[in-house]
Amino acid sequence: MIRRAIGIIGLLVAAWLIALLNPVPQEQPSPSRWIKINAQGQIMSSWSGPWTCVYDTKTQLLWEVKTDNESIHDGYWTYSWNDGTRGIENKGDCYFEKERCDTLDLIMRVKTEKTCGLDNWRLPSSKELLSLVSRDTKPGEPLIAKDFFPQTKRGDYWTKDSQQQLTGTFKYLKEGAMAVDFVNGSLTKLPYRNATFVRLVNTGYAARERPLSKGVRSITPD
Amino acid sequence: MAVKLTISWILLHGFVIAFVLINLASGLRIATLSKPWLLELSALLPQGALHWLHIAGGFGLSATAIAYVIYRFNQRPQRATEAKGKTPTTETLSDKFHRSITWLAYPLVVLSLLTGWLKFFDSALSVTDIHFYAALGFVLYLLLHAGGYFIQYGWPALKRAFIPSVAESKPSWIIALPAVAGLLLWYGIGYQPSRDLPVKRIPLTTLMTIDGITNEPEWNKAQAFTILTRGGANFTNGETPVTIKVLENGTEAFFNITWQDTSKSLEHLPLVKTSQGWQVKQNGFNQFDEIDYYEDKLAIMLSDQCAPGGGGTVHLGPKPFTDRPANFHGKGYHYSDDGKVRDIWHWKAVRTNNMHLADDNFFGPPVKSRPGDRRYAAGYIADGKESGAYVMNWQWYKPEVIVPKRLPKHDELIAPYQLNNELGHKTNNLPWVISWFDYTPYLAENDHYPIGTVMPSVIYRSNRFEGDRANVRAHGQWKDGMWTLELARQLNTQSQYDVILQTGTCLWVSAFDHSQVAHTRHQQAIRLIFEKEHD
Repeated sequence: MIRRAIGIIGLLVAAWLIALLNPVPQEQPSPSRWIKINAQGQIMSSWSGPWTCVYDTKTQLLWEVKTDNESIHDGYWTYSWNDGTRGIENKGDCYFEKERCDTLDLIMRVKTEKTCGLDNWRLPSSKELLSLVSRDTKPGEPLIAKDFFPQTKRGDYWTKDSQQQLTGTFKYLKEGAMAVDFVNGSLTKLPYRNATFVRLVNTGYAARERPLSKGVRSITPD
Repeated sequence: MAVKLTISWILLHGFVIAFVLINLASGLRIATLSKPWLLELSALLPQGALHWLHIAGGFGLSATAIAYVIYRFNQRPQRATEAKGKTPTTETLSDKFHRSITWLAYPLVVLSLLTGWLKFFDSALSVTDIHFYAALGFVLYLLLHAGGYFIQYGWPALKRAFIPSVAESKPSWIIALPAVAGLLLWYGIGYQPSRDLPVKRIPLTTLMTIDGITNEPEWNKAQAFTILTRGGANFTNGETPVTIKVLENGTEAFFNITWQDTSKSLEHLPLVKTSQGWQVKQNGFNQFDEIDYYEDKLAIMLSDQCAPGGGGTVHLGPKPFTDRPANFHGKGYHYSDDGKVRDIWHWKAVRTNNMHLADDNFFGPPVKSRPGDRRYAAGYIADGKESGAYVMNWQWYKPEVIVPKRLPKHDELIAPYQLNNELGHKTNNLPWVISWFDYTPYLAENDHYPIGTVMPSVIYRSNRFEGDRANVRAHGQWKDGMWTLELARQLNTQSQYDVILQTGTCLWVSAFDHSQVAHTRHQQAIRLIFEKEHD
């Protein structure tokens, strides 16, 4: 009888131990195609922030991350397309220029800032920018991984692909550049003068941080 | 062990064991919602959609109890005959112990069933705690009854409890039928208990102002429906009665909802300056279960079916599915299993009340988790919006210290909040929401605020949502311990994320007393019955 009593007590203790050793699980970040990078170019954990750039392990491209802090990276700013030799100057809207803004203004500022430790920032190609399009979004969101690319607007984003013959309504303006529409994830031709969003890209990060291609090397704390 | 182990008794005993274990396991998991300390036992409890199981178990236990009464009644003549011819025997101490413990089951069953049915019918009586303590009584009973027999007699005692040792002259196995019938009745016909709420038609020309002041004479003609909602944090006894009136004019429906809440809570995760920097005042927000520094809220769920367990969307436990992340608070998720959406109107006393809107959301199938989002909300999703937003005044949330997004342009903008702090939070008329353009981007050199400075954390970037998410107009007023909320929405918005308002649409209401997720709830759906049908 004593042995059976001990057995019952043992059963209760075992149940208690199971409960004790299996508390409510605390999730950890799961592996991701995207890696957050801080302003100095260091890798961050997926659940930490704020971050300044995102590294794409699939394409080895480093992308500018937009903000809502009225800095040069603010996601609300728009730009006309201009590379210094082609395009239209100062037809976009931002707070950081005395005049209005164009794509060259942003590129110059970002190079000066050495965003994420790099200075060779540029507009992405159509193919590069289309690689950000994601269909796995919630209702009303732009077609992008919003957990890594916040402040992305439902609108068009410039690419570097210029000298595009315009058609339809814009035919009389003759020439423009390609943009990616993050509402439906398609390419569209827009006149240089259009006030359009911009996300810059950099190909220098993979070369500088070569171990990244083999996996995350170190993570800065939250 | 004086009980005659007939086939009928064995069957009934087996049913009771099954139903009590089902109800204990599912019931204790359900209780974790309002008694978080029970999460210590989380690993031992089942997860998932358990409300239907608990109700089915309750039906089964009730039917078995009825069957047992019939059985005892039928056994009366036989027992009387046996008692006459029986020579008296001396009852040992252990026999007395087992008999008295067995008798304990009767009040526990009666108490559990009575309080369970009262809860099922959303009675106005406060019986939740009695129901819970009866369940704990069953845990003790199982230990003393089953454990006691096992300790004394070993495995043969368990064998005897499941194998009949007495042949019945007249097998009364038919008495098991009520248990089976009870289950079939509930499960087989997909029983969806609901109560009707008549919806009165008003002329299209009648102006209804959505301002939380119900002075339109039409409201006097609407039938009031009151339901006691239970299990929410911070309410007295966790309960608050909610009264609902609904009108419609053929195009729009109007809701007038009142509920008791002794405190008007608008201090939504306020920021306070400390010696380390700015902190978010919170108690649970890091686990997405804030219960102190949060605004009052009310949620209305609408569905074209009336299944128990929040229209079948409640999935309890930290990880009710294997292929999705666990939730941090351990309570569970809302999502639908049938691919359909349940419409959610989430009125928030700070974040949406000043927009004169309720946040139009929905519960749908669980979405894929996002690696960059710490909080996974399964099927709880906001309808899409074209523009408009509220944002929180921190660059990135951390439980220790945050950096605000913006600081006030003038100190006067936050001066009333300092006074409120000094007065012990007695000022009820502060909005606790700030305008984006009254504040400027945070710069450390501008952060001259002394330790103890309080600042609201909800910023309106623009006036209000636009698009699908703004389909529900709403405004609430708090007065004398009572919130009054008026809402209006088109009967059919044409949105795939909204439910059409018509006869047969079921709704549920949940009140939040300065809590993030710990809301009150009720069992039976409220079914809208329109006075006049539309073409």
